[in-house]
Amino acid sequence: MSRTNLDEMQVQKRNMVGNQAFMLLFYLLLIDIGLSGFGFRWLQYPMNVFVIMLGCMTYYLTRIIWNNSYVGPRPKNRNENIGRRIALGIGGAAFVAGTVAYLNMDSLKKPISTGDNSAMILFVFSIVLFIVLGIVSLLTKWQARNDE
Amino acid sequence: MSKNLKLKSSRAAKDMSQKDLADATGVTRQTINAIEKGDYNPSIKLCVSICKVLGKTLDQLFWEEDEDE
Repeated sequence: MSRTNLDEMQVQKRNMVGNQAFMLLFYLLLIDIGLSGFGFRWLQYPMNVFVIMLGCMTYYLTRIIWNNSYVGPRPKNRNENIGRRIALGIGGAAFVAGTVAYLNMDSLKKPISTGDNSAMILFVFSIVLFIVLGIVSLLTKWQARNDE
Repeated sequence: MSKNLKLKSSRAAKDMSQKDLADATGVTRQTINAIEKGDYNPSIKLCVSICKVLGKTLDQLFWEEDEDE
């Protein structure tokens, strides 16, 4: 049995959560299309799709981490903190880049319908990334405490 | 699904923790815990792996007698 992959129970749970997240994404996009058809726009395109996808991704990640299906059985000598440090570094860089881009964005003073939402997307993404990283850290600590 | 007390007692008889058994069979501790609690039905491959580590047969660890027998 491979030491780097998920074990059989983890694979089953990950697949189950993946199916749920996919169906959630499908129905939320469907509802969004329906609402647009009725003339109700809660966010400008493409932010609406992006927020829905981000929500579903967060749901998927949180659920598989909660079900202990994110990381498989580990070799004994592996340093567990490396992955977390890399993720924190990437998250920090994205947050700084997003904040700088957001603060320098000319479209802040104009209506959001200018069409250039890339800075806003990066800003929201970095914030959500930090929230997800925080949740991951908390869950990892909680699971480690339960293991002891 | 009922608890698998045979697995738990066999593991304890070998003086192994759930983590030890999990490491020996290549799964996570949570998977062994779920099998013992009856929350997860392992594949035959994992059953055989557990039996080999604990030195038992499939019957001894995973066969459940019906209550009316």
